[in-house]
This record gives sequence, structure tokens and C-alpha cells, in this order.
Amino acid sequence: MNFNLDSEQQILQDSVHRFVERAYGFDARASLVAAGKGGSAANWSTFAENGWLAAALPEAHGGLGGSVTDTALIAQQLGRGLVIEPYLGCAVLAPQTMAAAGTGTQQARVLPSVADGSKRLALAYSELPARGDPAVVHTVATPSSGGYVLNGRKTLVLGAQDADWCIVSAKIAPDPEGISLFLVDSRAAGLSMQALHLHDGSRAADVLLQDVRVAQDDLLGAPGAGLPALRHGLAHGIAALCAELVGGMERAIELTAEYLKTRHQFGVAIGSFQALQHRMADMAAELELARSMLYALLAALQNEGPALQQHRASQAKAFVGRAARFVCGQAIQLHGGIGMTEEYAVGHYFKRAIVAEILFGTADFHDARCASWLQEASLQEAWTA
Amino acid sequence: MDFRPDPTLDAFRQEVRAFLDHKLPTDLRRGKDSARSARPDLVRWQRILNDNGWGAPYWAAEHGGTGWSVQQRMIFDEESTAAGAPSQDNFAQKLVGPVLNHFATPVQKAEHLPPIFRGERLWCQGFSEPGSGSDLASLRTQALRDGDHYVVNGQKIWTSYGHESDWIFMLVRTDTTVRKQAGISFLLVNMKSPGITVRPIVSIDGCHHLNETFFDNVRVPVGNLIGAEGEGWKITKFLLNNEHASTADLPTLRRFMRRIRQVIGATRTGDEPLISRHEVALRLARHEAELEAIATMVRRVAAMESDHSPAAHAMGSMLKIRGTELQQKLSEFMVELLGDYGAVAYPGSHAAQIPAEALPMQDELRGIAAEMFFRRASTIYGGTSEVQRGIIAKMLFQL
Repeated sequence: MNFNLDSEQQILQDSVHRFVERAYGFDARASLVAAGKGGSAANWSTFAENGWLAAALPEAHGGLGGSVTDTALIAQQLGRGLVIEPYLGCAVLAPQTMAAAGTGTQQARVLPSVADGSKRLALAYSELPARGDPAVVHTVATPSSGGYVLNGRKTLVLGAQDADWCIVSAKIAPDPEGISLFLVDSRAAGLSMQALHLHDGSRAADVLLQDVRVAQDDLLGAPGAGLPALRHGLAHGIAALCAELVGGMERAIELTAEYLKTRHQFGVAIGSFQALQHRMADMAAELELARSMLYALLAALQNEGPALQQHRASQAKAFVGRAARFVCGQAIQLHGGIGMTEEYAVGHYFKRAIVAEILFGTADFHDARCASWLQEASLQEAWTA
Repeated sequence: MDFRPDPTLDAFRQEVRAFLDHKLPTDLRRGKDSARSARPDLVRWQRILNDNGWGAPYWAAEHGGTGWSVQQRMIFDEESTAAGAPSQDNFAQKLVGPVLNHFATPVQKAEHLPPIFRGERLWCQGFSEPGSGSDLASLRTQALRDGDHYVVNGQKIWTSYGHESDWIFMLVRTDTTVRKQAGISFLLVNMKSPGITVRPIVSIDGCHHLNETFFDNVRVPVGNLIGAEGEGWKITKFLLNNEHASTADLPTLRRFMRRIRQVIGATRTGDEPLISRHEVALRLARHEAELEAIATMVRRVAAMESDHSPAAHAMGSMLKIRGTELQQKLSEFMVELLGDYGAVAYPGSHAAQIPAEALPMQDELRGIAAEMFFRRASTIYGGTSEVQRGIIAKMLFQL
């Protein structure tokens, strides 16, 4: 393992960093949030021109053939600037699911235009009872004259409002087993969206499917075999989200360190108080442990089989998510009253941490997944012993 | 950043495993239950290692060491611990050895290094004093020059294994007229010198590895001074900056985790295995994730070995805090997993009286609670967690 950036990685990181500095200053960001569009088309074009949308997609389908490490480097910088563009949903989650689920022909149909930014793809996998668990699906696909008819309600679809297609998870009736993934045109008859504004200024939507017809060829891969691809896409999404949170924690800590040196009480800079110094030390340690956990996930995604990948993804989601809530919450605390205001940045890092907690299953949900995995492994060991 | 595994390291791991399989005698595979194995075990194992050219796994080849990279050393530590090998003398290997290699004269090296390789001279450390803990530079043990000797008077405390060590490396005050750091010197003293008294301190694990060491007009040849007079503080900083990555004691954390998973899988509660209890599985899961994060952080800190930036220093302190806290959490978890017998004071391996009638499960459970009590020291020694937090705040944020 090597933890230093190579020259290409450094260039990638610098280019995203420069974009954030230029386009996502506090006021610029506030205007984008106020506009309520979940980002801007101009920014998305910048993402495309710089190759950020193509970075980790296969070369065969218009991608640059990079790894999830590239995804993480991009997401980390976006996280520092609390960028609200739907990078996570439309450039990681959905395309990575597509890359794992689609046949070669299906990927060729969709991924090149996603990689060059001309089209957008979103992933509609969650439903209200699922709480982020991709295995809980009530949306139904009923076979009908050479295709399927979809009915259901998908929740919290990241970047849905500007998506040209949604990947929708559903169960094929009447077979209750197995989850299938469908590529659905956003303008299809019977598909409607209810826009959702999230705490952090980003946007999502519920996708309502009422007798939406799709062709046989819109079923991605084999019927009933969609869950592994979905989990693969989610693992990449979790890596990107964790990287984003690591970037957000970095920035929240930097802001707090500056504040502790400038804010005076009792005639001295409040950073001279040991209680606050030690809190900062704990926040910094939490950040570095979280970054280490992210690296462990990136390593697993590149070296391990699906079972360990999923285990690491759950560990990372729980660990980094808790770290982000602690660090960003304490960043508000150390600021005192000013940290509570909309006009100051630290509170917004906390908002992002709260939204991140809900996305893809909470820390408790992922702890429980890890626990079941350990239970199964242990009982299996006992059985074979 | 490249997260792919390095095949040469896998090959090295195989080499270490093969060596342990062939050369580690069965009767030495008892595992260490504290920082240093019993002297006879340690000495036997040191000789076996030395015969294989591995007498100093942490030293550069130019000093007669293996010349291993940090990653290789970590693999060696992990595999040795997993195989239940005795420890080496870490005071010699990781503390005074590197100091000698860096600061000693050729004469001093010729005197002290060969016995370390051969396991003939065990070392202890004389830094802390009753009045000087975290504020180490306030130490008062005095060394006054008298012809070709220093005359040492004072008291050291927490001298781990002082009662079974041959030599002590210690900090003494050679000048009381200058800034407190500038008056400190680094001295090597034979523990058999007249005037040294070692008194045991029994710690809360029920074991005797700590001591108080008294120096009453102890005459030490001036040739035993390392570096120049007044350079003791500089040498101490060098010594404490060595081996940041090892403070988390990852091999021990992994050993605890293996033991926990063993106990959880094999123990029944009611009519189901302990692992089926959701609160047990959940706690295991959270500890396991933290261990994974720490293991990766150890690799990061190890990779920064030659980086002496403030950020690297702070990373070492973070690892010390979080690694030692996890040692405490895991060892407490182990004790709780014992159920009712977790409350029973089993005789430790160092205890004098073994009851005539065996206690239930005594062989399985011996040492587990002692280990847990012993680990309370981990957040105190080597710079308390609070001192480490101060270092992080200063190094990273200039607070």
C-alpha cells in the first residue's frame, strides 16, 4: 500500500480543489442553494469537461478506466466545499450500478453519454419501509406483452430531477424472490416525481411509478439477479460519501482551529483553554481514524471478494458517519452561538453529516449488518470445527 | 495512493511463518501476557532469532540489524505474536539500542551491542521519578562528576523489570544551573553497582513488573555517558520519536480480537452460543470496525516513519491515544465475556500461591483479567493520553 498521491492523482485532486475554490465560496454556494435547483448545468459541464464523471467508468464505454480511489479523491474535495451537485447520485451510485448490472449492449447504450455529461442517470432503489436497505423492495414489475409494467414509489432518489433515466429496483410478479433492475426513461408515461429539498441544500425526489411500461431490453442483466449489482453500486456510493465526509470534517476542523485563535473571552484567545484544545485533538483523531477506515474500504473494493467488500462498506458507513456527526457537531459547539447561524459555514457541515447518516442506511443499520455477518461467520466456524 | 497488496510482503510473511513453524519450540509458545516475557524464555528466543540473523529486527543493516522496512517489521511482530512467541527485550531493541546506534562511541557500541544480540544483557529504563511524571524534564536524580566517575543519587520509579535487568539507561541531572532540559544527561548504569536498591511495586493486575529503584552514591564510570553532558533531553526526544507506529500495539489488539471471537463462538448462554446474542454481536462488530480503522492507521503512520513533520508527529499521538483506548475496551470486553467467572481473581502467571484445588476453568481464564488491569497503564505510560492531546493541539493547530 502507498498512501501518497501519485502525480496524476495530485493533478486530479488539485483540479477539483480549484473548482471548489472558484465556484463554491460561501456566498456562491448560498446562491446555488437558494436557487433550489440542486446545482447548476454549468457546473455539471465543468465536471464533464474535466473528466470527473468519466473517471471511474470502464474505458470500453467512454470512461477513463480509473478506480474507486479516483472517485474518493473527487468526492473528498467536493465534500470540503459542501458541493450540492448530484455527483454522488448521478456520477457514482447510478453509473457504478449500471456498470455492474448491465449487459455490454446496455452499458454501451447508457454509459458513454453519462461519462460525457450529456445525459444523467439516477438510482431509484430505496423505499420508505426499506430505510436504505436495498433488499427491501415493494415495487412490482408485472410481465406484459414483451416487457414489464412497473408500479411503486421510490424514495430519496439523489439527483432525480435532472436525470434522463432512473435505474429502478423491483420484484417481478408473481415471483417474490430476487430483485431486478430496470432502466426507466424519466419521461415515460406514468412516471412522476415529487421534489425533495434536503437539509444540506441538495435535492432529491421521490419517483412514483404508475403503470410505467418498459421493454424487455430495459431489464438490466438477468431477472431476479439485480441485488449484487445494486450492492456493488451502493458500496461505491458509500466510498464516495465517506470521502465526502472526510473532506467535510477536514474543513470543519480548519474553520474551528482558526476561530479558536481569533475569538477572545476572559481576555485571552479561547484556543488557550485546555478543554477546547483536547476537544480539537479528539476531533482530529476521529478524522484520521475515519480517513483510515475509508482507505480500508478502498483497499477492499480493489482487492477483496464481494462478501468482504460489503462488510467493509458497512464498517465504513457506520464509522465514518459517526465520526462526521461527532466532528461537525463539536465544530458547532466550539464556535458557540455563531456556529448556530445560517450565515456561518460550520452548521452546514453538520447538516451534510445528518443527511449522510440517513443515506444508504444509518450507522446502527450497518452495525447490525456487520453483527449478522460476524454471527454467520462464527457459527460457520463452529460448524466446520 | 495505491491500495493493491505488495506481493513481496506476502512472500516475506510466508518466510516469517516458515521460520516460526520450524524454529519456535513448542514449550515457548505460550504467548506473552505482559510487555516482557519471563527472562529464561526471552533469552532462549533471542538466541534462536540471533542464530537466524534476526537478532535485531528493528535496526538498520549497518548496525547489524535485519534492515527490514517498517512494513516488514510489522509483519514480523504480527506473525510472532500470532504464533505465541516470547517477546524480545523491547527496552534494548526499541529504546536504548537505537540510541546506542545513533549516539554511542565505537567503544560503547563494542561494549553494549553484542550482549543485546546474544540475549546476555537485559535492559530497563530509568526516566520517571516520584516527582517527575508527565513533567519529565523536572527530574532531580543527580549525577555529580568525581574524577573518572559520576556519583549518582536519587530515585527512579515505574522501573519495569528492574528486578530482572542487568543494566539501566537513565536520565540524570548533571547541571542544576541551566534551563531544566539543558541540565539532563543520558547515562548507562550496571544494575549490580553498589548503592542500587530495587523495591517491588505490585500493580493492580496482581503482578510484579514495576519497581522503585534507589541510587545511593552509585559510582558510574564517565565512559558510560552517552553523547555529551546536557544532551540527555535531545536523546530522549530521539528515543520517544522512534517507532510511533508500534504504540497502538496492533499485534496485541489482533490477539485480543482472535481470543474474543474464540470465546464468543465457543461459549454458550442459555441454549445458544454467545455470538447469537445481539448485544454481544453488535459490540463485537463495533470493536472490529475500530480495529480495522486502527490497523490501517498503523500502516499510514508506519509509512510516515522518515517524515518528521508536525503532522506526522500528531498522527503518532492520535494512534497512541486510540490504540491504547482500544486495548482497554477489548480487554474489558474479554473479562465481561467470562460471565460470572469474570469477577474471580484467578492467580496470574506470576502469582506465588496456586490453590490446591483447581478453580473452575482456571487454565482457560488465567491471565485475562490481569491483562485487562494491566492495560490501564497503557494510556499512562509513554506519554499520557492527555499529554498526547496537548501534543496534537500544538502540532496541528498551534494552540
